[in-house]
Amino acid sequence: MKILAPIRERDELEMLLAAGAEEFYCGITPKEWLERYSGAVWLNRRSPKGSGLDSMEELRGLSDEVHRAGKEIFVTLNGPYYTAEQIPLVLRLAEQLSGDCGVDALIVSDVNLMSRISDAKLQAKLHVSSVAASLNVEAIRFLQNFGPSRVVLPRSLTLPEIAGITGAVRREIEIEVFLLNDGCAFEEGFCATTHHHSVGAFCTSLSDMRTSFDWQGPRLTARRERWLRANLDEYRRYVWYLNGNGCGSTPKGLPYGPCGLCAVSDLHRAGVASLKVVGREASAFKKMASIKMANDIVTRVRGRQERLTVIERARSLRAEPEHCDAGYMCYYKVTA
Amino acid sequence: MEVGLHVRDASEIRADLRLGAAAGWESSTKLSAWMTAVTERFAELPVSRFYFGTEFCENLLPTAAAVEAVAHASLPVTFLTPYVSDRGLAQLRPLLGLLRAGTEVVFADWGVLNVLRWEFPALVPVQGRLLNKSLRDPRVTNLYSIHGAENASLDAMRRSNLDNASYANLLERFGVTRVEMDHLPQGNHFELGGSAMRAHVYAPFGFISTSRVCMAAGLHYRGAEKFQPGAPCRHECQTHLLEYTYTNSPFENLDQQFWLKGNTYFYTHTGEMLDRLLEAPVDRLVFQPRVPMVTA
Repeated sequence: MKILAPIRERDELEMLLAAGAEEFYCGITPKEWLERYSGAVWLNRRSPKGSGLDSMEELRGLSDEVHRAGKEIFVTLNGPYYTAEQIPLVLRLAEQLSGDCGVDALIVSDVNLMSRISDAKLQAKLHVSSVAASLNVEAIRFLQNFGPSRVVLPRSLTLPEIAGITGAVRREIEIEVFLLNDGCAFEEGFCATTHHHSVGAFCTSLSDMRTSFDWQGPRLTARRERWLRANLDEYRRYVWYLNGNGCGSTPKGLPYGPCGLCAVSDLHRAGVASLKVVGREASAFKKMASIKMANDIVTRVRGRQERLTVIERARSLRAEPEHCDAGYMCYYKVTA
Repeated sequence: MEVGLHVRDASEIRADLRLGAAAGWESSTKLSAWMTAVTERFAELPVSRFYFGTEFCENLLPTAAAVEAVAHASLPVTFLTPYVSDRGLAQLRPLLGLLRAGTEVVFADWGVLNVLRWEFPALVPVQGRLLNKSLRDPRVTNLYSIHGAENASLDAMRRSNLDNASYANLLERFGVTRVEMDHLPQGNHFELGGSAMRAHVYAPFGFISTSRVCMAAGLHYRGAEKFQPGAPCRHECQTHLLEYTYTNSPFENLDQQFWLKGNTYFYTHTGEMLDRLLEAPVDRLVFQPRVPMVTA
């Protein structure tokens, strides 16, 4: 079970390796794309502004350094879809990434692109992005038509569901899951909205909108409306947690945000191959702090430390038990 | 253009039906007047096919008895299926077994397509609109068509991967020759990558986003249990609807509305979108006279 780290520039590499990162992923948007498409049309799931590397030369250099450290690097090509006009550009990019830059895997969500990359027989492996919404064993079996070596499971799967999937397919394909930092109120692969900076994420933007209930059962009494509104307020609190506690940090500067540290023992037992720390666009400090927390827990699990002790340690690392107790900061519901 | 009507159960399936018969089926006080006006706009269109089932939630899968009743109707039926966990897929399999050979099944999940392909080859798979990934964020995508000149970004937003010949070929390889899509706030380019491919378009609701975590289901849970993915529910979504008004818009569309029913957000078609609908170069109009979160 490896710790997968986001990276945005070569300067972050040494620090992330020292913190315990064991494999890396990043994004890049070529100039050619930026010159043709603007606004909400992104080449991958993150805005081209500030979340990816700036040039192929830089990526080639990063890839070389990662390989010198004995690690692997993956690149996201996980836009939800590519049109007929876009696909030649994306395929050329995939060939360059695989050939010139020597990246180890391409992370893809569009089934058409998966098929084209599979046909192209590139050296780089294929990873199925969480955006492909592989929610069940049969979905993975279908996607295996395109020869992926790994599937990133969506955040919404529970521990028993993950265990069921890994139990069925782990001998054939690696399974990666989310570990830290990025929440999504929706099923990411079935969200047709944009996070473009002009409007922000739909889920968080909803929390500030005017709302009105329409009751289709018996009369909407004042008491019933209070009940509905209390639930809505609580849901908004849940979304606040998903959004990194309102994009905040602890008094010590550690990142908030969704967390699966308590579940690492269970994920390890289930046969998960990789734990993803999210946030290509995040500051170097946030990335390093996240990888350190992940490494602390993974090292204990590898050392066969008892599960409840690991959970206690995870809670102490987060340092703010009231947030852990809220239950909304957890990717996975862990039973003691 | 063929017209399909989404019904709640077999009791709503009748021969020689026109869309006008569905006026008043939406019981929401906020939407019923608008829905009736929309239905009356298309009142004379004859219905030739009935849609049944759910695209958005495995907890809304119909009962076996309801599926059997629909399967025995002598009129053409299309069965809608949602994205599913392994548990949902286990519940769906026996329902698929009740359908007659040749019945269309709309899949929103690659796992469902795999099951159709290997276990139910006599059923006809149709790619659902959830697998059509065009952006449809009514907060902003329509503004590209209002304020922007025709450009590559707008063009890309009006399309999806469906205009790729390679994708059409791939779908055909898996037995799929029909694909469904939403009528987009920014407008659609309906070009498909393959000549054998046929498109269906939905009205008058477009899907925005959906989740395995359901706000409505949280009503009957306490504390940290409230918002858990895939949690069992009491179909709380069937009794209420939540209207959002885009009061925090940075643009001029402060009166834009979104509708949450259960686990899924929808936009409604504007009059202009509805006007364009009948001219769309598609094979089928799928008309949903209620917010499409019904169950039987």
